[in-house]
Amino acid sequence: MIRFEHVAKRYPGGVQALSDVNFELRRGEMAFLTGHSGAGKSTLLRLIAVLERPSRGQVLFDGKNVGRVSSRQIPKLRRKVGVIFQDHKLLTDRKVLDNVALPLLIAGYSWSEIRRRVRAALDLVGLLDKENTLIPALSGGQQQRVGIARAMIAKPPVLLADEPTGNLDPELSEELMRLFCTLNELGTTVLIATHDLGLVERLGRRTLVLRDGCMVDDRSRGAAA
Amino acid sequence: MTRMSERGGGDLRSWARRHGYSFLSSVGTLVRNPLTSALTIIVLAIALTLPLGLNTALVNLQAVHDDLDRLDSISVFLELEAGEDGARRVASRLSSWRNILAVDPVSPDKGMRELAGATGLDRFEVGDVPLPWVLEVTPNSAVDIAELAERLRRAERVDMVVVDLDWVRRLDAILEVFSRLVILLATLFAASVLFVISNNIRTEIQRRREEIEILALVGATPGYIRRPFLYSGLWMGLGGALLAWLAVHAGLWMLRGPIEALAATYGTSAELTAPSAPMLGLMLAASGALGIVGAWVAVSRQLARINP
Repeated sequence: MIRFEHVAKRYPGGVQALSDVNFELRRGEMAFLTGHSGAGKSTLLRLIAVLERPSRGQVLFDGKNVGRVSSRQIPKLRRKVGVIFQDHKLLTDRKVLDNVALPLLIAGYSWSEIRRRVRAALDLVGLLDKENTLIPALSGGQQQRVGIARAMIAKPPVLLADEPTGNLDPELSEELMRLFCTLNELGTTVLIATHDLGLVERLGRRTLVLRDGCMVDDRSRGAAA
Repeated sequence: MTRMSERGGGDLRSWARRHGYSFLSSVGTLVRNPLTSALTIIVLAIALTLPLGLNTALVNLQAVHDDLDRLDSISVFLELEAGEDGARRVASRLSSWRNILAVDPVSPDKGMRELAGATGLDRFEVGDVPLPWVLEVTPNSAVDIAELAERLRRAERVDMVVVDLDWVRRLDAILEVFSRLVILLATLFAASVLFVISNNIRTEIQRRREEIEILALVGATPGYIRRPFLYSGLWMGLGGALLAWLAVHAGLWMLRGPIEALAATYGTSAELTAPSAPMLGLMLAASGALGIVGAWVAVSRQLARINP
C-alpha cells in the first residue's frame, strides 16, 4: 500500500528531516512509528499525504509515485488518506458537526447522509452530545477526537495519525488505540506516529523506529513476540 | 456499499450539492462578518458612483443639447429702408424656403424694448437709435446652418445675418470632453473595483488561511476551495453596483428641485433621466465579473502555496 524507497527530505534552509528511509506498509496493516521528537516522524507522514514532496527517492502509494503526482491529482490522493494532526487542524469558528462533515461536503454527499454519518462517527469517538458545540469550547482531548472522527468519516483506505494521544489521559489513549485497532480490523491501513512507547509495547504491533532521519529499527509483531 | 449509492445519486447531483455548499458557505461568510462586508460594498459603491453619476450627467446634458439645437435661430437684419411692408414681404418669401421652419418678424419697437430690457437701460436713455426690422429665422433641424446663413446674406433687402453658433459649438466640445472623461474614469474605477475586491479577498484569505489549508488537507480540489471566494467577490461586485445605482438615483432626486427651478428661468421644463435598465444591467454584469476576477487572482496565489 505504502512504500518508501531511499526517501530523503531536506527543507529549504538546510534542515535534513529524513536522509534515507526504506519501508513498506502492506494493505490492511497497522504499524507504529516512533522516535524522539525531531526524528522525522511528522515529515514521513506528511510525505504520504503529499503535504510535502520528497527531495530524493520515491514514495509509492498504491503503486503510484506520489512525489511525482501532478498538483491536480493531489486532492484525489488526499481523500484516500485520513490524517489526524497533532495540532488537530480544526475550523475553530465552526461547530463539531461542520468540522467532521468536511470530507463528505467536499465529496458532495447529501446533507441527510452527512448528518447520519457524522452522528455515527461522533458516537464512535464518544462525542455524540457535542455535535453542535463550537470547537474552542472543547477540551484538547475532545478536539483530538473530533479530528479522528473527521479523518475516518469518509472511510479512507489509509489512516495516518500524528501523536493522536498526545493530549489524552492514559485511559482515553487506551480507548483510542482500541478504536484504531477496530478500524484496522475492518480493513483500514493504519500508521500512527507516537512516542508513547508503553502503549506501543502493550499493543504489540509492528513498530518502525526513526532516529535522525533514518529508519533504525523495524520490529514486526512476530519478532516482538 | 458502492460509493455511488451512498451519495444517493450520480456525479451530477453530487456536483450540484458541492456547488450548493459553496454558495451557502459564501453567504455564511458575508453574514458572519456583516461589518467588513458592508464596508467593502460601500467603498465599491463610492468608486462606482462617480463614473455612473458622470455618465448620467452626460446623458442629461446631451438631452439639453439636443433641445437647444432645435431652438437655434438666425437673426436676419433687414435694410433700414425696408419698412414694415418690406419686412413682411421678405418674411413670407423666406418662409416658403424648404429648409426654413419659421420666420418671425421683430419690429424695431419690439427690438428696442428687448434691447432696453437686456441692457437694463431706460428706453429713452437708449435714445432714438434707428433700428431695422429683424427676422428671426428658425431653420429645419437637419439643416447646415452656415450654408443657410450664406444664402440668407445674399437674399434681397438683407443687410446683415447673425448666427451665434459659438456657444453651441462650445457645448459640443465640452460634451465631448465630458464623455472622454467618463470613459477614463470608468476605466480607472473599474481597475479600483478589481483591486478593492482582490485586496479584500486577500485579507479574507489571510484570515481564513487555516480553513483553506484544512480544506486542502482533507482533499478539497482547488476549484472547491476557490468557489466560496468567487461567490464572495461576486456578492461584493453586485452589492457595490446596486448601491452605486441607488446613490445616483438619490442624487438625481436631490437635484430635481433646483434643476427644475433653473429650467423654469429659461422658460423650459427639465426632465432628469435616470440611468436606464440596460445601464444597470451592464453595471451589475461588469462589476460582478470584476469581483469574480479579483477573487480568482487572490485565491490562486494562495492555493499555489498550499499544494507543493
